[in-house]
Amino acid sequence: MNKAISKAIEFRYRIEKDVLAAMKKPHIQYWIFLFISVILFVTGMSLWYYQIKTGMGVSGKTHPVGWYMYITNFVFWVGIAHSGTLISAVLFLFRAGFRSSFNRSAEAMTVFAIMTAGLFPIIHLGRPWLFYWLLPYPNERLLWVNFKSPLIWDVFAVGTYFTVSLIFFYVGMIPDLAIARRYATGWKRRLYSFLSLGWQGTPDQWRHYNRLYMFLASFATPLVVSVHSVVSWDFAMSIIPGWHTTIFAPYFVAGAIFSGTAMVITLVVPMRKFFSLEKYITLDHFDSIAKILLLTSLIVSYSYIVEFSMAFYGGNIFEMEVFRYRAFGDFWIFFAIMIICNSIIPLFLFIRKLRRNIKFLFISSLFVNVGMWMERFVIIVTSLSRDFDPYAWGLPSFSTVAIGITLGSFGMFFMLFLIFVKVLPILSITELKEVHE
Amino acid sequence: MKKEYLFEDKHEFVEKLKDLLKKGVPVDRMQIYLPFPVEEVEEILGRPVSKLNFITLLGAITGTITGFGFTAYTVLSRPLITGGKPLISIPAFVIIAFELTILFGSITSFLGFLSLSRLPDIRRILNPMEFDNRFAIVIDDGEDDGKRDED
Repeated sequence: MNKAISKAIEFRYRIEKDVLAAMKKPHIQYWIFLFISVILFVTGMSLWYYQIKTGMGVSGKTHPVGWYMYITNFVFWVGIAHSGTLISAVLFLFRAGFRSSFNRSAEAMTVFAIMTAGLFPIIHLGRPWLFYWLLPYPNERLLWVNFKSPLIWDVFAVGTYFTVSLIFFYVGMIPDLAIARRYATGWKRRLYSFLSLGWQGTPDQWRHYNRLYMFLASFATPLVVSVHSVVSWDFAMSIIPGWHTTIFAPYFVAGAIFSGTAMVITLVVPMRKFFSLEKYITLDHFDSIAKILLLTSLIVSYSYIVEFSMAFYGGNIFEMEVFRYRAFGDFWIFFAIMIICNSIIPLFLFIRKLRRNIKFLFISSLFVNVGMWMERFVIIVTSLSRDFDPYAWGLPSFSTVAIGITLGSFGMFFMLFLIFVKVLPILSITELKEVHE
Repeated sequence: MKKEYLFEDKHEFVEKLKDLLKKGVPVDRMQIYLPFPVEEVEEILGRPVSKLNFITLLGAITGTITGFGFTAYTVLSRPLITGGKPLISIPAFVIIAFELTILFGSITSFLGFLSLSRLPDIRRILNPMEFDNRFAIVIDDGEDDGKRDED
């Protein structure tokens, strides 16, 4: 280039440089984080191997509590996935400007969270090698899947969700991969070239691209509502007290977006600091996302109140007992943590100063993550350990294997995310350019 | 002969494009490359509405039909009554049909996008043209050999 770079083009270059700088050779801190994540992941997988070899007893599941930590993790991770779709698809349809700072990491998070979530129903199986029996395909077992079962709905919902999120994630990245191709050399250049499919940015390509993006966003929006509704029906379709309520679907969807938003904050705050993206992810953007966190926290708190009120006004003694047990029984500590993390701490976000305080936001997002995990645990375990017949009551046993596999899932998720920040553009470059013009 | 115009500024580019069209340069002789989408270009070129609308609708409808058809057909050919419910339980099948509507719709939309925008373009994968963040208009009389002249 011989000509002096004009102002308009200078900004475009700056964005590219700043965003792609994240792909440069990593710091020692990065390797430490990656190492810890890989260790956790490998430990988790080894514990799973141990569980398969020894038997399901080591997972802490007992007779009435047949759904325990793995199902908790499944619901938790599917929930984490949801906010990615909310930020990328719903905020796209609403034309929310702050979206372009978060959407790439949120979409990546969605894909990785579903991958993590998808493992848990399989880990939960006594004979995990037969998991494909859940799929409807021509077989010689003279059996067919039961389409009336929420577990099969789950297969369809989570399968669709993963596929659509992956397409959405990839499509959003095609123009950016074409930019990455320009900066890369050697085999990396060939790889990005291949992944960008030979994108050139002709008007026709952009025309169809924008259309496709709009369609995917409009498909993903009802999908995200349906997926966690279906997950909630895994519980609500049964007659177990504490599960059998119609509020479950909206309650779970709100909870999912709440926990997912918290996870976006947990991931984006360190990412912004490490890669100096303060210019692109501003305090105003955090302010906006904190408002989403606050709103969903209020919806979740409201659902807690409705749930308890319905139980006590409904007059069903089993329902009443389960809710009394949930708050004051064996698991009262979990319940208390859940209320403090999900309903009380986010209330501080009503204060504008705290919404714009990155440290506070980061710490409260960690609390919300913990709180939402507790919520799923409380819902699942308290209802199962005390249902109708006192003769059949029981508690799950403490299990290091289940805890190890749970930590392993966090390791897997963070490992995938850490790899993502080094190999793919972490912000949507073309979108930032377009917004700037 | 091949002419290449490069612009750093969006407005300059849009003006030049209008100018060229006014001068009577045929649209199919012009190759335009944009670093990010520009709304005005679509209007100026006067392209019809993307065929993707139709393709996506077709995919989504196929999904709905498959969802209901597949569930109903298979439960009838392998009847297994559970919970005393009718074999064809529409409310339960709605969920399968809904998910497949979205799945088929998204996949056909994606495939439709690929074929409409002629991707993957093997020639450009092997030999991509780079305009370094500029808007480019290339007017081409002969065959395009994938290379461009330096100015």
